[in-house]
Amino acid sequence: MQIYEVFRQEREGDPMVHVGNVQAPGDDLARQYAREVYSRRGEATRLWLVPRAAIEEIGDAYFLRPPIERSYRMGEAYRVTVQKRRQLAQEGAHES
Amino acid sequence: MTEEQRVEEFKRAVQAGRKVEAGDWMPDEYRQRLIRFIEMHANSEIMGALPERDWILRAPTLQRKLAVTAKIQDEVGHAQLLYRLVEDLGKPREQIFADLISGKSKFHNVFHYPTRSWGDVGVIAWLVDAAAVISQSALLKSSYAPYARTMRRICWEEAFHLKHGEDIVLTAMMGTAKQRAMMQEALERWWEPLMMFYGPPTPPEQDKDLAWGIKSRANEDLRQDFLTKYVPRIREIGLRIPDPKLRFDESAGRWVYSDIDWDKLVAVARGNGPASQQRLGFRRLSYEETAWVREAITGGAELVA
Repeated sequence: MQIYEVFRQEREGDPMVHVGNVQAPGDDLARQYAREVYSRRGEATRLWLVPRAAIEEIGDAYFLRPPIERSYRMGEAYRVTVQKRRQLAQEGAHES
Repeated sequence: MTEEQRVEEFKRAVQAGRKVEAGDWMPDEYRQRLIRFIEMHANSEIMGALPERDWILRAPTLQRKLAVTAKIQDEVGHAQLLYRLVEDLGKPREQIFADLISGKSKFHNVFHYPTRSWGDVGVIAWLVDAAAVISQSALLKSSYAPYARTMRRICWEEAFHLKHGEDIVLTAMMGTAKQRAMMQEALERWWEPLMMFYGPPTPPEQDKDLAWGIKSRANEDLRQDFLTKYVPRIREIGLRIPDPKLRFDESAGRWVYSDIDWDKLVAVARGNGPASQQRLGFRRLSYEETAWVREAITGGAELVA
């Protein structure tokens, strides 16, 4: 018996979202179980079945954090543009 | 860090809102409590399919027959989802079933009672499922994340069941005097099990499942919520609740009701309810009768192992 993690796409274009898993001796039964358990009401446009053993997990939050401060990657760091615009507008007012 | 310190740190973390995943380290007590809690939930889903199963052949219309059948499939589907969680926590399904059919593990008190009329089908689907939606919604905040995620799907489906049950009850209440009497009689038999549904009013500080964040709301809190939501809806349609002491105490801000015999709940949940042995007997028989299916699927490997 094997465990398959199940990912579901609810509408065309949506991301595949993990919804749970099924246990089956092989792919054929896994497909049937996944359909019965995760799309009984037609909730899916697509299902992915992934053998659990094939999933490589990184669960270490420390490893997943950038090693140094990287605020320049985020929009937040550029809020200062509002201030700069205001400043430029004021300077422009002086010139005219 | 010593083992005790690690356990204490884990406990503080879950109380502060940390979510635990299946592969994470967890204290043994947490794991054992999760297994017991989720296993009972799963057993209740699969045993809860039995009282309704009796009514597939007796449903009054084709539409109702299809709806009851679909609800039963949903309940068994919920058991499938929940048993997977228990298996991932380390208890094999063969052991889960062995413990269920030998009476060693428990299932919910409401499924230890017989169904006597079509009125029961309506009252169970409406009010038992309504009670379940309240406790299961509280489980959306469980510290065990795979359980909380599973609950999203289960709550979504229980919401349909509740509507299906309410429709059965409303249809009968709009019918003949005999139909209304049937609903009244069913409600009278189900009121006590419904009041017992959430268990005794254990003080929250003594409830270890709360301390570990496995569940997020105290028993009495859930019962009060159920009464606030459903007493008016039950009375509004002309049904009488069989408890003369039931009233909302404005000054205390809570419902008061007749004393509940908690010893009776314990006895029922231990397998001494009016339908306990018959239901377990049926589950045992169907487990034996389907042995060949499991064998065909696993090629006999699981049975030998």
